[in-house]
Amino acid sequence: MSEGVQASPGVPRGGSRIRDPRDFYGGLALIALGVFALWASRDLPGMHGFAFGPGTAPRMFAIVLIGLGAVIAGMGLITEGAAVERYEITGPTLINLAYILVVSAQTFSFKMVALAVLVLGVILSVIGLMGPRRNLVRGPLFITLSVLIFAMAVRPLGLVIASYFSILAASFATHEVRPLEALIWSAVLSAFCVLLFPIALNLPLQLWPTNLSWASLLSFR
Amino acid sequence: MTDLLSNLALGFGVAFSGMNLFLCLIGAIVGTLVGVLPGVGPLATIAMLLPITFGLPPVGALIMLAGIYYGAQYGGSTTSILVNIPGEASSVVTTLDGHQMARQGRAGPALAIAAIGSFFAGCVSTVLVAALGAPLTSVALMFGPAEYFSLMVLGLVFAVVLARGSVVKAVAMVMMGLLMSMVGSDIETGQSRMAFDVPELSDGIGFIVVAMGVFGFAEIMRNLEQESSRSIVHAKLTGLMPTWPDLKAASGAIMRGTVLGSILGILPGGGAVIAAFAAYTFEKKMAKDPSRFGRGAIEGVAAPESANNAAAQTSFIPLLTLGIPPNAVMALMVGAMTIHGIVPGPQVMTKQPELFWGMIASMWLGNLMLVIINLPMVGVWVRLLRVPYRLLFPAIIIFCAIGVYSLNNAPFDAVMTALFGIIGYWLVKHDFEPAPMLLGFVLGPLMEENLRRAMLIARGDPSTFVTRPISGALIALAAFLLVLAVLPMIRHKRDEVFVESEG
Repeated sequence: MSEGVQASPGVPRGGSRIRDPRDFYGGLALIALGVFALWASRDLPGMHGFAFGPGTAPRMFAIVLIGLGAVIAGMGLITEGAAVERYEITGPTLINLAYILVVSAQTFSFKMVALAVLVLGVILSVIGLMGPRRNLVRGPLFITLSVLIFAMAVRPLGLVIASYFSILAASFATHEVRPLEALIWSAVLSAFCVLLFPIALNLPLQLWPTNLSWASLLSFR
Repeated sequence: MTDLLSNLALGFGVAFSGMNLFLCLIGAIVGTLVGVLPGVGPLATIAMLLPITFGLPPVGALIMLAGIYYGAQYGGSTTSILVNIPGEASSVVTTLDGHQMARQGRAGPALAIAAIGSFFAGCVSTVLVAALGAPLTSVALMFGPAEYFSLMVLGLVFAVVLARGSVVKAVAMVMMGLLMSMVGSDIETGQSRMAFDVPELSDGIGFIVVAMGVFGFAEIMRNLEQESSRSIVHAKLTGLMPTWPDLKAASGAIMRGTVLGSILGILPGGGAVIAAFAAYTFEKKMAKDPSRFGRGAIEGVAAPESANNAAAQTSFIPLLTLGIPPNAVMALMVGAMTIHGIVPGPQVMTKQPELFWGMIASMWLGNLMLVIINLPMVGVWVRLLRVPYRLLFPAIIIFCAIGVYSLNNAPFDAVMTALFGIIGYWLVKHDFEPAPMLLGFVLGPLMEENLRRAMLIARGDPSTFVTRPISGALIALAAFLLVLAVLPMIRHKRDEVFVESEG
């Protein structure tokens, strides 16, 4: 999902060139989403008589989406368009998906798949951070990490620790980050969060770790 | 008429109670505070601040949310004028002339006229909401499932037609939203759909999760790409009040902006953004000397600001009377109402009159408060804008994360929000507009339910949507609009292809 395709204006107008990469790849992704939805709703019962079944509407929307995706991708082939603005989101996407897989995994082999996806995501992110496009990698990556840290830590470790490290991770999403300032600012902000959410607004949030164990930490819930 | 007055009196009675007055004020201030932050529009603001209304009674919560909404709207125009960064989409046009005025040292009058215009528009549209509420509610009672379905189709078509860019892509976004809304339990059978046995998904993907990811996080990711160079107007704000000629020049624009905004706000799929653009264009066409626009014409601030506020308010009409959110912000309001156990629709007005009229009265109050608090507090907002973005955005992220988490106390929701952040970022990169997707996402379950019911009643005959008169008219209008929008595009694309092959 990281086609930073650059349409170079100097390329001769041939038949094989993708003229509007934004639309072409965008359309392909929509087709993929539609196919995925069809697969995900494959065992839902459809129409019985003239009544809709649970699977009717999802399949209907998925098929229309596939059709529209094809039209968009097709138009991307024949009409001229702007180049895709560059972006780099493979790493954070994989890490995020891995987290979701781990949470929802029921079997051991499924968990191993999740682990593999996670490792791949981390490797790609690290490569990206060292590469020339590191400033493009930073934003999505650290914002994702920040939220994942919060999600992972808020239950077992409590709001104070979770928000501190979450803010700290978020601070690194820009290359303008100043590490010392970020350390202090995270403390100030997390103190503010504690004052605002559990105390002033009375939301039920645990402040400090309770019955901490590896099991609770690694449940990711 | 007496009915209207007594209803409004009831409403003001509710809104003027000490507690509600206070909530409205807090909402307006906090809304402005967050709305001033660049890249945080009303949607993200409401989503972020939703948790703070959880502990309140429903009336108070909705009054506060309405305050937040207007505050965010107003905060957006403040940044447009002072820093040339629109806080949200509906104040993009305000930057054109507003920031020019500020550079000429007339930031004060620009801000004041924005506030005055908004207030005037707010007054007019409050009356409009109150006046149209009752008749539209009686229309809504004639609606069956087929009519509801057709009306929602019309709403989505409006959203598509009014979206920027390609119609096909906007329709695709609507479909994507509809498809995502299917995740969770089936309404009729309770069967789990596309939820992969994840317990957190069995209730569907949360609306706030999608909204905050696609509009909040994605926006921050985009902002981080740009170098943070902002030209804050450092000049002292002297002479806040506009001069008499200013007022005279702006009064016509405010009037026209209000009318245009009120109309566009009621239309499903419309809303503040389109209203602001339309009002600006209209004003420019009306002007004797259009070249003044873009160089600090006061009409260029007055018209869009009045229009976006009028539209922001009248877009409550379809929500409160028909129960159908006309745009993404209103969709969020549905989410907020549902959390407080209120099902938006015609029954709100008859069953909970104090809630309905209290909210309408508080709209007017919210506008008044904005004028009172904002003009003296402009200095505070400017100082807030001097805080570097590298310190601001982590705060936004943690507030969003805590907000999403506290909705269901589910860490999984926060993870999904991050995923939707990436999706939203990707969508923008590929020139897909997320707003139609969000509208489709909200309307999805409602649409499916009504579609299924209508089909069942008609014994599987889809022609019921065209043969029932009201439904047929709505569908015809939707089809007409869609054709109208698609035709020029096809012609344009064909020309493009044609030119291509010749060259």
